[in-house]
Amino acid sequence: MSREPMSRDENLRNSRLVFYENDVQRLNAEIDTFLELSKARCALLVDRDGHLVTRRGEPVRTSEETVSALIAGSFAATREMARLLGENEFAILFHQGTRDSIQLQLIGERTLLATLFDGRTNLGMVRFYAQETAGRITDVLHEIHSQNRSADLNADFSSRAEDALDKLF
Amino acid sequence: MVQINFAQKSVNLKVVYYGPGMSGKTTNLEVIHQRAPEGNRGDLTSISTDGDRTLFFDYMPLDLGTVAGMRTAFQLYTVPGQVYYNSTRKLVLQGVDGIIFIADSSASMVNQNLESLRNLEENLNEYGKSLATLPHAIQLNKRDLPDAMPVEELGRLLNPHNAPMFEAIANTGQGVFPTLKALAASVLKNIMNESGQKAAAYQPPSAPAPHTGAPHARPSVPQRPNAPAPVRPTAPFPPAAHPPGPMHGLQPSYPHLSSPAPMAGGFYGGAPAAPPMGHGQPLHAPHAHAPGGMQLAQPGAYGTGTPHALSQTRSQPRPALSLTVAKPGAPPAPAPRPQRAATTQAPAAGKGRAHASKAKPAEPQKTSSGKFTPVLIMGGACLGAVLAWVLMNVL
Repeated sequence: MSREPMSRDENLRNSRLVFYENDVQRLNAEIDTFLELSKARCALLVDRDGHLVTRRGEPVRTSEETVSALIAGSFAATREMARLLGENEFAILFHQGTRDSIQLQLIGERTLLATLFDGRTNLGMVRFYAQETAGRITDVLHEIHSQNRSADLNADFSSRAEDALDKLF
Repeated sequence: MVQINFAQKSVNLKVVYYGPGMSGKTTNLEVIHQRAPEGNRGDLTSISTDGDRTLFFDYMPLDLGTVAGMRTAFQLYTVPGQVYYNSTRKLVLQGVDGIIFIADSSASMVNQNLESLRNLEENLNEYGKSLATLPHAIQLNKRDLPDAMPVEELGRLLNPHNAPMFEAIANTGQGVFPTLKALAASVLKNIMNESGQKAAAYQPPSAPAPHTGAPHARPSVPQRPNAPAPVRPTAPFPPAAHPPGPMHGLQPSYPHLSSPAPMAGGFYGGAPAAPPMGHGQPLHAPHAHAPGGMQLAQPGAYGTGTPHALSQTRSQPRPALSLTVAKPGAPPAPAPRPQRAATTQAPAAGKGRAHASKAKPAEPQKTSSGKFTPVLIMGGACLGAVLAWVLMNVL
C-alpha cells in the first residue's frame, strides 16, 4: 500500500495521545468557556477511539466510558456513510431528544466534542460556539502533539497491572 | 490506541474480540461481565439486531483499579462476525491495542475462520497495523463440539505469528479468562516498550523465536487451561482498589467562569446576557475587542437576551480564549466598528433574534466637533434673508 507522507493531522491521528495535567487544564478552560457561553449542560471531549479525554459541566447520568464509546462508534459509522455518499466526512452530528439533545463535532482529526444540552439553550447557540471552540481545541491538541513527550509510566506498571488482572479473576 | 491521561491519572487500552459469526465473541464478553466484580466492570452495551446478532459492536469497560498510581482500564469490544458487516467491523478496529481472535473449532467452520483472519489482517492494514506486530491472542472456542478440529491443526492454520493460543468453551466460561489475561499481558508489555520510545516490534511472550521456519515448527503447543473456570460469586473478591465516588472518577462540578482572574481581550467579544440558568454568574462581556478574534459588531443588543452580531477575523493566530467581564460603571471599550457587514451572526437565543440589519445608520456626532457650526450659520442667514424678502414684498 503506497502512502503519501503523513500530514500533520494524519500524524496526530496515528500516534497515541499523552495528556499531562496542564494540557487537560487548558482543554478544560476552553470547554468551560464554551459551556458558559452556549448554556449547554455538559461537554465531553472524546478520543476518536472511544476514550474519554475530559468531561466538563454536569455529570452524565450513566457511564461516561460507555457514552464515549458510543459517541465514537456513532461518528465512525457516519463517517463511513459520508464516504459512501462521496463526502469526506460529516463534521457535525446532531441527535434530538424530547428533553435532551446532543451535538457531536469533529475536532481536528481524532477528537470529538460531544455537547449535551436541554431547553435552556438551542442548537444554534451550541453549534455557533462549538464551532469556535473546536478551532481553539484543535490548536491546543496540535500543540500537545507537537511536543516530544513520552509516557513516563512506572517501570513496573506492566507487571503490576498483570497482578491486578490476576486478582480480578 | 493507548490513551495515557496524567490529569485523570488513567490509562485506557482498547481490546477487540474478532472472529467469524457465531464463534463466541459476545459470549466471551458476557462471561467476563458476569464474573467481574461489580466495582470493576461497566455496563455491557450491545448494538445488536432483534435476533441478538451483533450489529455494530458490544462494549464493556473493565477497570483494573489503580495500578502504579494510574487507573487502568481495558475497553473491551466485539465486532459483528457476519461477512456483510465488514464496514462496521473495520470501524471498531480503529485505535485497537490488542486483538483476541475467537475461532470456531468446528471442522465445518474452518473456511470461515480463515476468511475472518484474512479479513482481520486486511482491515488492520488499512490502519497501518498488522498481526505481525500487534499484540494478539487466539482462542479456539467450542472445544466440546464432536467435530472439533485438532488443536495442532487449527494452530497451524490460524496462528502464523505464534501468538498465545487457548482452548475454550466460552459458554461455560472455560478458557475465557486465560485468553484475556494473556492478551492483556502482551498489550501491557507493548505499552512499556513504546513508553521507552523503543521502536522494537512486538514480541509475543510465548514465542521465543517467532518466524522460525514454517508454522508447523511452532515450538509451544497450546496449553489447555488448568481447569474449567468455576462460576465464582462476587463476594470473595477483594474490594477493588477504586477511587472514591463514582466509578469514572470525574468531579461532578466544574469551575464556573466567575473567576476573579482578569480576562481582557475576550475572543468572543461578548456573551449573550441570559438569565441565570444554573451555570453560575451570568456573564457580561460587552465591547471586548480582540485583534484577530471575534469583534462585537453590535453592542446595542447587549443585555436583552439576544445574541450579538459578530464579525470574525482570523488573520492572526487565535488569542487565548477568555471572557471579558464587565465592570460596573466601566466605560465601553472603544471598539472600532467594522465597516463591512457582519460575516457571522450569532444564532437566536430563545425567541429573540439578532437584528443586525436594524442597526441605525451612523449619525454625525454633532457634539463632538464644531465643523457643522458654519453650515448652521449660513443656513440661518439664508433663512433670514428669505423671510426679510417675503416680508418686504408682502407688506
